[in-house]
Amino acid sequence: MDQAHQRAIAVIAHIDHGKSTLSDRLLQLTGTVSDRDMREQFLDRMDLERERGITIKAAAVRMRYAAPDGAEYQINLIDTPGHVDFGYEVSRSLAACDGVLLLVDAAQGIEAQTLTNLYLAVDAGLEIIPVLNKIDLPAAQPERYAQELASLIGCDPADIFRISAKTGEGVDELLEAIVSKVPPPKGDPDAPLRALVFDSVYDAYRGVIAYVRVVDGRLQRRQAIRLMVADFAADADEIGIMAPDAQVVESLETGEVGYVIAGIKEVALAKVGDTITSADRPAGKPLPGYREPKPMVFAGIYPIEGDDFPELRDALDKLKLNDAALVFEPESSTALGFGFRCGFLGLLHMEIVRERLEREFDLELIATAPSVGYEIELMGAQKQIVRNPTDMPDPSKIEAVYEPYVSVMVVTPSEFVGTVMQLCQERRGELKEMHYLSTERVEIRYHMPLGEIIFDFFDQLKSRTKGYASLDYEPVGMYPSNLVRVDLLLNQQPVDAFSTIVHRDKAYDYGKTMTERLRKLIPRQMFDVPIQAAIGSRVIARETVKAKRKDVLAKCYGGDITRKRKLLEQQKKGKKKMKQIGAVEVPQGAFIDALRVDADLDAGAKS
Amino acid sequence: MADPGFGIYVHIPFCKHRCHYCDFNTYEGQDDLHASYADALVKEVRRWDGPTRSATSVFFGGGTPTLLPSHQLGLVLQAVRDRHGLSEDAEVTAEANPETVDEAYFTALLEAGFNRVSVGVQSLVPKVLVGLGRTHPPEVALRALDAAHRAGFDDVNADLIYGSPWEEDEDWVRSLEGVIDSGVAHVSAYALTVEEGTPLATLVRSGRTPGVDPDIQARRHDIASQLLGAAGFARYEISNWSRPGRASRHNVLYWSAGEYLGFGAGAHAHVEGERWWSTRLPRDFIAAVQADSSTTAGSERLDDDARAGEALMLGLRLRTGVDLDGFSKRFGASPLSKRTGTLDRLREVGLLELSGSRLRLSDRGTLLANEALCELL
Ligand SMILES: Nc1nc2c(ncn2[C@@H]2O[C@H](COP(=O)(O)OP(=O)(O)OP(=O)(O)O)[C@@H](O)[C@H]2O)c(=O)[nH]1
Ligand code: SF4
Ligand SMILES: [Mg+2]
Repeated sequence: MDQAHQRAIAVIAHIDHGKSTLSDRLLQLTGTVSDRDMREQFLDRMDLERERGITIKAAAVRMRYAAPDGAEYQINLIDTPGHVDFGYEVSRSLAACDGVLLLVDAAQGIEAQTLTNLYLAVDAGLEIIPVLNKIDLPAAQPERYAQELASLIGCDPADIFRISAKTGEGVDELLEAIVSKVPPPKGDPDAPLRALVFDSVYDAYRGVIAYVRVVDGRLQRRQAIRLMVADFAADADEIGIMAPDAQVVESLETGEVGYVIAGIKEVALAKVGDTITSADRPAGKPLPGYREPKPMVFAGIYPIEGDDFPELRDALDKLKLNDAALVFEPESSTALGFGFRCGFLGLLHMEIVRERLEREFDLELIATAPSVGYEIELMGAQKQIVRNPTDMPDPSKIEAVYEPYVSVMVVTPSEFVGTVMQLCQERRGELKEMHYLSTERVEIRYHMPLGEIIFDFFDQLKSRTKGYASLDYEPVGMYPSNLVRVDLLLNQQPVDAFSTIVHRDKAYDYGKTMTERLRKLIPRQMFDVPIQAAIGSRVIARETVKAKRKDVLAKCYGGDITRKRKLLEQQKKGKKKMKQIGAVEVPQGAFIDALRVDADLDAGAKS
Repeated sequence: MADPGFGIYVHIPFCKHRCHYCDFNTYEGQDDLHASYADALVKEVRRWDGPTRSATSVFFGGGTPTLLPSHQLGLVLQAVRDRHGLSEDAEVTAEANPETVDEAYFTALLEAGFNRVSVGVQSLVPKVLVGLGRTHPPEVALRALDAAHRAGFDDVNADLIYGSPWEEDEDWVRSLEGVIDSGVAHVSAYALTVEEGTPLATLVRSGRTPGVDPDIQARRHDIASQLLGAAGFARYEISNWSRPGRASRHNVLYWSAGEYLGFGAGAHAHVEGERWWSTRLPRDFIAAVQADSSTTAGSERLDDDARAGEALMLGLRLRTGVDLDGFSKRFGASPLSKRTGTLDRLREVGLLELSGSRLRLSDRGTLLANEALCELL
C-alpha cells in the first residue's frame, strides 16, 4: 500500500491497563478478527500468557481500516507487554512505529511503566495519543486522571480519549484519531532496502522467522538479502504479514511490517536490531539497532532428580532458540549436584523460564536464590565477573567489588511518600529526584543496587503501600559497594548453594536467618553438627543440631520379627537417599526446602 | 551359639478396653468369641502336623490371655504338652492384665503348669495411666503383682512404659521404685512408641497431645538403668532387666533368631529360616480351624545372607551381643566378611564394640541401635 495510507502504532501502558483488550477491540472493529473467532486478549497466544493473563512477547498484526472519508488504510499494530522485565520488547517495538496509544487505567491513574514507556516514546519522536481506559469501571475517575495525564504530556485534558476497551465505548473515535494524528511512514521507497528486525523467533520446521519493518525500499519474495550486522547472506524464501494469522505476500513496501523466512537456522544470525538489506543493492549504513537485552539476574537451576541433567540441558537449548535474553552455563554444586547458572532479565522472566522448563519439558527443578552479577577488582587491577557467589575470591585478594545499580522509579500516592522513602533507604537507595505529577501523585527516583530490588523489594513496596505504588527500574552501571560473601558451613564444610554476596551490614541477618533455617531442616546426626555462617574464616552466626540420643525399636511383638526387619529396611533405604556432606547425612529435600522458603523468610531478614 | 531352645507362642487376641497407644492384634467387645476361640486354639495346637520338639519356653501373650478363664488357658497348655512336649525346665509364661486377676486365678495358672507371669503395670502414676488409656489405678497393678507372688510365682515380670507425654522424671522414678519394691524378678521397660493408626497417633497429629521426645526417653532409659541396676537387676536386652538368672528364655529365644511355633490369630512362627503367620481376625481364625483348613495368612523365606543379617539385627539387642565365632559357624564366613566395612565404621563411630569375639552395642549404641542395625541387614 502507498505510504500515505499506512499507519504503524504500538499500544503502550503500565501492566494490566488494558493494552491487549484494546487490541481486541481494534481487531474486531477493523474486521481483522471476526466476532466468532474473537477471544479475550487475542494476541496473547502463548499458554503462559493466557494463564497468567499478561503479555510477555510483543505481537504485531496488520489491519485494514475503511475510514469514514472513504479511504482505506493499513494499520500495523503492536501490542506490547507491560511488565518491567520485558521492557526491551517495548523499546524495540517502538522502533517499528510512528505513533503510540498511551493507555492509562482510569481507575488507577499514572503508574511507573506509564512514565517509562511515555519517555521511551518521546525519545523515539513518536506521536503520542493519550487514552484513559476502563471508564466503565465504577471506580474510574476520568476527570481527575485526565488532568494528571494532560499535565504530564503537556496537552489539554479535552484532547485525551476516554474509552472502555471492554465495552468498546470510544474505540471508534480512537481508530479515526490513529489515522488523523499518526503520521505516515517517512522512509524512502526508492532507496536501497533497509528493514529492521524487531523480533526473531525460531520455528522447528521453518527455521528463523524474522519480524521486520521495512524502513526504506522494498522487500520482495526470493530476493537475495543480507543481514548487515551479522554479515550473513540468505534468500527471502517467504515473506508474509500477520493478519492476525500468517499470510504470504509477494512483497513488503516501505513502512510495512511483516515477516521473512530465509532458511536461517540460528536466531543469532537474525538478531533483533539487525538490518536486512538487499544483497544486490546494499544500503550504506544499517539502521540504529538496540541495546541487546542483558541478563540482570542470575540463579542456579538444578534438576531435583540428578539424572535429569541432560534433559535440562536440551530444554534450555530449546528455550534459548526463542529467548535471546536467556543465558546459561553448566555448574555443579555439592549440595544440589549438576545444574546450570542461568541469567534472566528479571524475576518474572526467571519464574517464566522455570515454569516453561517444568511444564513443557516435564522437569522438576530447584533454583538457588537469585543474585545479580558482580565485578571484582582484584589486587593488581585485574577484573573478574562473578555470577555465582561461590566464584568470589578470598576477601584478602579483593581490591573492590562492583555491583549493578539501577535507576528506580516509584510512582506512589503522596500519602505513601514517607513509607516508600524509608523502604528505599533500607535498601541502600540514594534519593535522586522527587516530582509531583499532581497533588496526589508523586514520582520518586532512587539510585539503588539491583541486588536489593530482587530481594523481594517489589512485594515490600506493594504491601507497605497497600498495593498503590508501582515500580520501574533501568540499569545505570556498576558501582563499588562494601560487599562480602557469606558462606554457610555444615560441620565445617561449606554448602555452596547457600553462599551469597550481601552488603556487609546485612551479612549478619542473612547468616542468622540461614543458620536457623538449616538447623530446622537438618536431621539430628550421631554427633553435634555445627551450622555456621562465615565471612572468609570469620564466623558471624552459629547454630547447632544436637546429636541424636535415641533411635531404637522398643519391643518385638509376639515374635513378629518380619515387621521389625521391614522397619529397619525402610530406615536403611532412607539413609541411602541421603546426601553426604562431609560426615553429615542430609536428606535431599532439606536443601531444596531451605531454598524454597527463601521468598517468605527474606522479607523478615531484610526488614 | 548355644542352642537357644524351641518356643511356642500362643496368642489371645482379646482385651477389655483398647489402650490408646496399642497397635497389637487385639479386639475389644468380642466376648462371645472367647470360648470358641479357646476351643479352636486347642484344636489348632493338637492338629499341628509339622516337625516339632519339646518346647523350652511357652508364652501366652495378647491381648489379654487372663481375660479367658484359667481352665481354658490350662486346656491349651495341656494340648501343647500333649502334642509338642515340654522340656523339664521349660519356662511357661502368661501375660496378665491387672484388672483380670486375683490370687485364686494365679493359683489356678500355677496348677495348670504356668511358672511365670508378666503383669501389664505400665505405670504407677494415675495421670500417666489415664493418658495411656489404662482403666485401672496403680493399686490394682500392685495388688496383682502381690497376688502373683502370694500364689507362689517366683518369676514375675512387670511391664512398664516410659517417656509418655504425661510423665515427668519423678513419675517414672515412682513407677520403677514401686515395681522394684513389689519384689518382681524381671522388668520390661519400653519407651512409648506412637504407632500409626492408634488413637494416640490421632491425638498427637491433631496437636491435642504432645508427641514423645526421644531425648526425654533416652534420659528415662538411663534412669531405669540406674535404679534397676542399684536394686540388683541387670539389663540383658535393650528393654529388659532381670535379677540374676531370671532372664526370660522365651524373650532371649526371639533375639537369638531361634525357632518357635505360633498358634492363634496373627501369631508368628519361625522354623529354619521360614517365617509365617496366621490370619489376624479371631473370627477368621476360628472359622479356619473349624473348617479344618489352614490358618496361615502369609510367609516369607529369607536367603542365607538375609537370615544372617536378621540374626545380627536381633542378637545385637542382647547385652551379651553376638559371638562372632558361633555366628560364623552358623551362617558361614561370607555374611561377616561382606559386612566388614560397615562393622568397622560402626565401631569407629562408637555404636558397636568388640571384646574378644563378642560384638555388641556400646552403651551409647544401645539407644541408637536402629542406626547400627539397619546397616547390617
Ligand atoms: N472493566 C474493564 N476492564 C478492562 C478494560 N480493559 C481491560 N480490562 C481488564 O483489565 C485486565 C488486564 O487487561 P489486559 O488487556 O490483559 O491488560 P494489558 O495491559 O494487556 O496487560 P499486560 O500485557 O500484562 O501488561 C483484564 O482483566 C481485562 O479484562 C476496560 O475497559 N474495562
Ligand atoms: S492391655 Fe495390652 S494388648 Fe490390650 S489393649 Fe492394652 S496394651 Fe493392647
Ligand atoms: Mg497485554
